[in-house]
Amino acid sequence: MTQIALEKVSRVYGDEKALQDIDLTFTDDVTTAVVGPSGSGKSTLLQVINGLVRPSHGTVFVFGEPIDYARLPELRLRIGYAVQGTGLFPHLTVEENITLLARLVKWDAEQVKARTEELMRLVNLPLSFARRYPHELSGGQQQRVGLCRAMVLNPRIFLLDEPFGALDPITRNEIQREFLHLQQMEARTIVLVTHDLREALKLAQRLVVLDRGSLVQHGTRKEILEDPANGFVRSFFQSQLEQ
Amino acid sequence: MRTAVISLVTLLSLLLGPDTAGGQTVVVGSKHFNEGYILAEISAQLLEDRGFRVERKFGLGGTLVCFEALKNGEIDLYPEYSGTLEQAILKLPHRVSHRELREILRRRFDLDLLESFGFSNTYAIAVSRGLARERGLKTISDLAKLPNLRVGFSHEFLNRQDGWPGLARTYGLPARPVGIEHGLAYHAIREKRLDVTDVYSTDGDIKKFDLVLLEDDRRYFPEYLAALLVRSGLDEQIKRILGELAGTITAAEMQGLNGQVLLERKSFAEVAQQFLREEGLLRSQGTALLGSRWGTLLFRAATHIELTLIALVAGMAVAIPGGIMIYRLRAISKPVVYLAGLLQTIPSIALLAFMIPFFGIGATPAIVALFLYALLPILRNTAAALFSIDPVLKRVSVGMGLTAWQRLRYVELPLAAPTILAGIKTAAVINIGTATLAAFIGAGGLGEPIVTGLALNDTALILEGAVPAALLAVVTEWGFEGLEKLLIPKHLLQKPAE
Ligand SMILES: Nc1ncnc2c1ncn2[C@@H]1O[C@H](COP(=O)(O)OP(=O)(O)OP(=O)(O)O)[C@@H](O)[C@H]1O
Ligand SMILES: [Mg+2]
Repeated sequence: MTQIALEKVSRVYGDEKALQDIDLTFTDDVTTAVVGPSGSGKSTLLQVINGLVRPSHGTVFVFGEPIDYARLPELRLRIGYAVQGTGLFPHLTVEENITLLARLVKWDAEQVKARTEELMRLVNLPLSFARRYPHELSGGQQQRVGLCRAMVLNPRIFLLDEPFGALDPITRNEIQREFLHLQQMEARTIVLVTHDLREALKLAQRLVVLDRGSLVQHGTRKEILEDPANGFVRSFFQSQLEQ
Repeated sequence: MRTAVISLVTLLSLLLGPDTAGGQTVVVGSKHFNEGYILAEISAQLLEDRGFRVERKFGLGGTLVCFEALKNGEIDLYPEYSGTLEQAILKLPHRVSHRELREILRRRFDLDLLESFGFSNTYAIAVSRGLARERGLKTISDLAKLPNLRVGFSHEFLNRQDGWPGLARTYGLPARPVGIEHGLAYHAIREKRLDVTDVYSTDGDIKKFDLVLLEDDRRYFPEYLAALLVRSGLDEQIKRILGELAGTITAAEMQGLNGQVLLERKSFAEVAQQFLREEGLLRSQGTALLGSRWGTLLFRAATHIELTLIALVAGMAVAIPGGIMIYRLRAISKPVVYLAGLLQTIPSIALLAFMIPFFGIGATPAIVALFLYALLPILRNTAAALFSIDPVLKRVSVGMGLTAWQRLRYVELPLAAPTILAGIKTAAVINIGTATLAAFIGAGGLGEPIVTGLALNDTALILEGAVPAALLAVVTEWGFEGLEKLLIPKHLLQKPAE
């Protein structure tokens, strides 16, 4: 089953076209990185998938069906979502942040506890952090908690909007390694928005390149590096990888 | 809590009091001035002596408040003056006899005016003895020659047809009087900030402040015979008992009774009891003067807290959901907040007065008024707190799959809690202050001694209400700080440094 597909999807804000006529089928069980310059529509593309943004035209298919906008919460429970700056709830402890969804869908206490420990181990978070509040953690640790929270219900689809954006290079490296490890453990369909091409090439098997709301190229790393669709893609890659 | 106090008081009165055989409760009201209190207390004690239970609603905010309360059956009786009834209430174009007046009251309002206590307390115009001597002031006509005198009248006198407007016309007085609280006028005259004011001819203050009354040389002021005004439906036996008070007090005696309270600082209860005993009207040894000072204080504080608390809880029940609604339906946010703000600008006394036609007097209108005052701070803080939640958190909570209700319950309200709590605290403190004014409409509480103290120029009495009210406000602040510590993680109280 194709888990995510977009059919002629556009989204306009006033005169501005944030997404323009996008036809795109994401490959299941691999990581696809969405890249492009700032303002090219990456975040919008991501949010169209979990219904945070509703297309002006076109249809979005998730888990093989068009999104039912009257029943978004149920759909979203099956889609992990993590953003830059973590978005952790400051009034909840690490544990409470991670387990909020599990408790809301009424898992029993033991199941919740086991899942928390499993996830924290997976991303190398000391279990002793469970009782801390987000502000008592470093940026990298908060980012890991954010990932755990998005994974708690074991969603088949994972949407990540620059989740490692604000980290220092060393921490970033570490988390990227863990990310790859997670992916090996259990394959999911992951859409990863990043403005860092190196990160995209390191973490994703496939790439989507956007420019001013339009889809310019979609393919494997190799295809895009060896055969850029046009001058824009070529110069975008050159300028990014030269730095 | 209050019920407990009341039943304690009732128990005490059962043990200490005389035969409370009647079992019927009579509600006695009084206006907010010295003589009103004394006459009402005399009537109340007489009834208690004869075995009736009496509920006192003294210090009501003015003639109209009392009259409305009586009409609505909120009180059974209160002392009133014939002139006031003719002019301020019935607005009669000409004078009528006492008998005609009674006839009209019975026919139009179903009220009985009992036989007069025996004296007339007419309005009079007073100046200080020094000024009278200096300027040779003897009559009200003399005032016309001195346009530069500073004149201050009680608000009631200033606005009644039988008060200043008519007086100015009759005597051609040029003065531009200001409105001043009756009790404060005496002080203002003593401090030489004011030259002329209105007084009642039986005022005990006349002696105390060494004032002289100007002769009403054109006989402008009507007679103000003091008498009890009662509901016609009141038990005939009660009316008969009250009738025993007819003709028992002369004007000079009334000045004496007023003076005992004002100058000798005796309590109303004491003065009333002594009077009744001297008149030989008491059957028993006299009502034991119930309740220690502390007991009274406690009772008032309990009433005060009760008023504030009920209003606050009701305010929360409306304003928190209201704030949430504003947050969800942005369109209504402006009008709602403006409306609540508008309510806040209505002066407390005015708001309390507005309540009377709808809710009568006593606790209900006071609670409604306090409730209205509590709305704005809670509403505004709730909405503001919700609006200011980090948009990333809102987006994430939606994106995670929380329903609208779950977001509210698990994310938005907890994050807004510190600000909402601060709004509740503000409302509570405002309410404690405003509730002191509730005594004007017979709601009791710590405002009672303040209102009485204002009527009597008794600073000590004012403090007896003001100090506990202030303490209550401080304790409330502390209480909320404790609640904050208990309910809200510390780091949310100051914005986290991120
Ligand atoms: N809610 C909105 N209202 C109006 N315009 C919007 C809104 N959201 C996005 N846009 C516009 O749509 C375009 C695409 O925005 P988007 O956030 O998808 O870009 P992006 O590729 O994620 O950029 P960045 O790399 O800076 O995060 C931008 O020009 C932006 O200004
Ligand atoms: Mg973006």
